[in-house]
Amino acid sequence: MKFRKYFGLRLVTWALTILIGVTFIFFIPRMFPTDPVENMIGQIQNRSGQMDPTEMAALRRSLRLQFGLEGSLWEQYVNYLQKGLLRFDFGPSLMSFPTPAGEIIGTYLPYTLLLSLTSTLLAWVVGNIIGLLAGFRKDKRSSKVLEAIAICIYPIPYFLVALILQIVFAFILGWFPLQSTINSMGGLGAYLSSLLRASALPAASLLLVGTGWWIISMKSLSAATAEEDFVQYARFRGLSEGRIGTGYVMRNSILTQITALAMSLGGAFNGAIMTEIIFSYPGVGTLIQKAILQSDYNMILGCITISIVAIATATLIADLIYPFIDPRIRYS
Amino acid sequence: MRKLVSLLLVLAMMLGVSAAFAAETTIVGTPRNETLIVETQIPTDTPGQFNSYMQGTSMGFGIHQLMSAMMWEMDTIKGEQFGEVAEGMPESNADFTEHIVKIRKGIKWSDGVDLTAKDVVFTMNMIRDTKGINASAYYNVVFKSIELVDDYTVKIVTNEPFPRLALRFGVTIWGNDLRIVPEHIYSKLDDVTTFKDSAPVVAGPYTVKAYDELGVWVLYERREDWQNSTVGVVTGKMPQAKYVLFKALGDDSTRQMLMISNQVDIMVEVTPEVLEVMKEQNPNIAAWYKDFPYATSDDPCSKGISFMMGKAPYNNKDFRWAISFALNFDETTMDIFDGVGRASALPILTATTAMQELYLKPLKEYMANLEIDLGDGTKAKAYDMDYAKRIGDKLRAEGRDIPTDEAALEDMFGIACYAYNPEAAEKLLVKAGLEKKDGKWFFEGQPFKINMSYLANTEHQAGRGLISAYNQLLKFGLDCNLVSESSATWDSNAALGNYEIGGYWPTGGITKDLYSVINGYDADLIVPIGERGSGQASRWNNERATEIIHELAKISPEDPKSYELGMEFVKVAIEDIPFIGFHSGVKFVPTNTTYWTNYPSAENAYNGPWWWWSCFKYITTEISPVSK
Repeated sequence: MKFRKYFGLRLVTWALTILIGVTFIFFIPRMFPTDPVENMIGQIQNRSGQMDPTEMAALRRSLRLQFGLEGSLWEQYVNYLQKGLLRFDFGPSLMSFPTPAGEIIGTYLPYTLLLSLTSTLLAWVVGNIIGLLAGFRKDKRSSKVLEAIAICIYPIPYFLVALILQIVFAFILGWFPLQSTINSMGGLGAYLSSLLRASALPAASLLLVGTGWWIISMKSLSAATAEEDFVQYARFRGLSEGRIGTGYVMRNSILTQITALAMSLGGAFNGAIMTEIIFSYPGVGTLIQKAILQSDYNMILGCITISIVAIATATLIADLIYPFIDPRIRYS
Repeated sequence: MRKLVSLLLVLAMMLGVSAAFAAETTIVGTPRNETLIVETQIPTDTPGQFNSYMQGTSMGFGIHQLMSAMMWEMDTIKGEQFGEVAEGMPESNADFTEHIVKIRKGIKWSDGVDLTAKDVVFTMNMIRDTKGINASAYYNVVFKSIELVDDYTVKIVTNEPFPRLALRFGVTIWGNDLRIVPEHIYSKLDDVTTFKDSAPVVAGPYTVKAYDELGVWVLYERREDWQNSTVGVVTGKMPQAKYVLFKALGDDSTRQMLMISNQVDIMVEVTPEVLEVMKEQNPNIAAWYKDFPYATSDDPCSKGISFMMGKAPYNNKDFRWAISFALNFDETTMDIFDGVGRASALPILTATTAMQELYLKPLKEYMANLEIDLGDGTKAKAYDMDYAKRIGDKLRAEGRDIPTDEAALEDMFGIACYAYNPEAAEKLLVKAGLEKKDGKWFFEGQPFKINMSYLANTEHQAGRGLISAYNQLLKFGLDCNLVSESSATWDSNAALGNYEIGGYWPTGGITKDLYSVINGYDADLIVPIGERGSGQASRWNNERATEIIHELAKISPEDPKSYELGMEFVKVAIEDIPFIGFHSGVKFVPTNTTYWTNYPSAENAYNGPWWWWSCFKYITTEISPVSK
C-alpha cells in the first residue's frame, strides 16, 4: 500500500516535471528574436545574392504556410502536447523541411547514446572504484597519487582534453582519425571498425574528465563513511578490510553516486556538444546547437523533450530503486 | 626470444604496409590520387537526399556543383553568362513577353536518355504547378505558359514583359533554383517534394557513388560517358578526378589539421591567420596568390556598413557622409585583414575585377572631383584617390612583396577609398541636426548613441570591419553600442528594420546589367519599420534611383541604355551613400597541391576559386593530378 502511494506520488511529480519542462521549451524559442522563415530567406539571399522583390513576397507566404506557423500560439501548443509529447511526433524539421524532426533525431540519437552512455557508465564504475580505494585507504601512497591525478584532470574542461587527445593521437601520431568519419561503404565489418575508431578519442576525452569527477566525489564520501562508528565497530568485530570496504563503506557511500548517475545518464541524451564539434562526431548535441541557431522550433522541441523525459524518468527509476540499495530507506 | 623478435618485426611490417596503404586511400577507400577532396560548408541533416525540389536538400554538398543541369551558367571572370542546357541566350519578342529558348543537342542523362526540350518544359511547369516548391508562387506570377515547340525548342510566354529571362533563371553568382530534372523519372512521381532521389539520374559530369548516412560526406564518381554530360558537351573536356569527395571538415582546428596532413585538397574559406599557420606547416598549401596578399578580392559581396534609413538621422545623407568622413580606411583595412583586400568604396556595387573595369575605372575622374557640401560654405573631397599607392608603400615597408606598377596596385587595393576627414565629419553632423555639447553629441535634445550590429557566427570580414568602425567612431567622439547577433537574429532584425548600423553585405552581383542587383532598392517596396518587406531592409528612399530601376525593368540587359542607366544609378548612389563599402568580398580559399594541381589562381585565372558555386564543374576539367 505504502509503495503504491509512493509510486503514485512519484509518477505525478514525474508527469508534472515533464509538463512544466516541455511548456518552457515550447515557449522560450518562440520568444527568440528570430524567425525561421526570415532565416531561410536570409540563407537563400546570402547564397544567391539579391532576391527579386515579387519572389521574396511569394516565398515568405509559401514558407509560413508550409512551416505551420499560421495558427495562434495556443493552437500550436495544444497541437504539440497532443502530437509531440504523447506520440513523439514533433512535426517536420523547419530547416530540413519536410523531413520529420523525429526522423533526423532518430538517426543521430543512437550515436550520442553509444558515446555518452558508454563513457558515463565506464567513468562511473572506474571512478567509484578508484574513489573508494582512495577514500577508504586514504593514508596509502597509491591513494594519494590517484587522488592527485584526479584533482589534476577533473578541472580541465572536457573540450580541452578532447583537443589535446586529437592533436597527440590523431594529428601527431596518426593512430586515430582526426574526424569521426564512419565508413558505410564496406559492409558491417568496415562500419563497426570505423565506428570504433571514430568513437575512441571522443569517448576517451569524456571518460578521462568524467572519471576524475567520480573519483573526487566518491573519495570524499567514502573517507567520511570510513570514519563512522559502524565502520570502527566492524573493524573491532575483526571483519576483513575488503568486506568493510565493499559491504560497509561502499554501500553507504554509493547512494549519492547513484542519484548523480541517474542524472548523468538522463543528460546523456543531450550529447556532448563540444566533443561532438571537435571530432565531428554525429550526435544530438550538434543537432540542438544548429537548431537553436536556425530557429528550427520543431527540432529544438524534439531534442529537448526527449532529454527532459529521459532525465525525469532516470530520476524516477533511481528513486524507486533506492530501497533495494539502502534498506534504511522506506517507501513513505 | 628470436621468435618473439621475428613476430614483432612481421607485425611492424604489416602495420607499415597498412599505414602506407591507408596513406594512399581515402577514408572511403578510394585511391587518394584519383580522389579530389573538397570541403563542404556544412554537413547535411538529410543524407541521401539529392532532389533539388525537396526542401532541406543541401545543394552545396556537391549536388549543384557536380550534378545539376542549369539553363545558363556563368563565366565568373568575364561576368558573362553562357548556355549550359540552353543553346545560347533566349530570343525574345519586341515587348519581351515571348521567348524562344533553344536546347543544346547531345546532352544525355546518366541513364543514357537524351536531355531534350521536353525535360525543360516539364521542369518549369512542375515548379509552377507544385505548391510545395519554394519558387512555385513566383513562377505563377511570371509565367503564362511554357510550351514545347519541338524536341530542342521551348517557347516561354510571360505575364508581363520580362527582359531578363537568362539572368533570373540562369546562374549569376552561386547557382540558380531552376535545375532541369529528367522528365522520364520525375513525371512518374506522385509528389516531387517528398521524393529523396537517393540514386539520382543527372546531366552533370558526376553521379553519386556513395554517401554517409550521417551526412558527413558524399562520394561522387565521374560518369563513364562524361562526354555526354553538360560539361562534356559544352567544353569537350574530361573532369580529371575520377572521384570527388565532398566532406564536412568540422571545427576550425580540425580543418587546419586535415589540410596540413593532406587529407583535404580544397577548403572553402579561412582567415588569413589560419592560412599563414597552415602555409608554415605545409608548403603545398596556397590560396589565390602564392604569397601576400593571398586572397582573391573578386567575391561579389562587398562588406561594409549599412544604415537603417527608415529613421532619423540615418535617413539623412549628410549624417551618412559624416560617418564616412569619421572613418580612417587605412586603419580599417589593417584591422580587417592586415591591409589585404581591394577597396570597394561604392554604395551598391562591388569592386570585382569585372566591375572595376566596367564601372569604377570609367568613374575615376568623377570620383576624384566629387565634393561634399559641408553646410558652412566649404566643401570636402569625398574620395581618397591615393589609397592604393599609400597602402602599397606601407606594406612594402613592412617587408611584403608588393608591386609598384599603378595598374597592379589598383587591381590589388582598388581605385580609391572614402576620404578620412574628421573636421568635415563634425561639420556634416551639425548640418544633419546634431549638436555637440561638452564633447558629447546630441540629437533632438537627447544624448545620441548609435547601435551597431554585426554577425557573430559568420563572415570575419564583415564582423572585423564593423568592430573597427565602432572603435573609430568612439575615438571620433560618437557614443556607440556594439551588438553581436547570430545570423538567425540578424535575418529577423534586418527584415523588420530593427537596427541602426549593420556590418554585413546587402548586395552582390557581377553582371554588367545591374537590374537584378539593384531592383530591391525600389522605394515603392519600402514598408514601415516593424513590418517585413520584400525590398531592401535598409529602406533607402531615393526618387531618382527608383525611376532608374523602373526604366531598367522595361529594357533588355543587352540594350546599351541598360549600361547608361546603370552608370547613372551608381552616381546617384555614390552621392546619397546608402551603404559605406569597405572592401569587395575578400576570400582566403586554400588549396593543397600534394595530390592535385592547376587550381585557378591569380597566375592562372581561368575561373574564380568558387568551389561552393555551381560553376565548380567547369573547374574540375582543369584541376590535374600531380602524379599520373
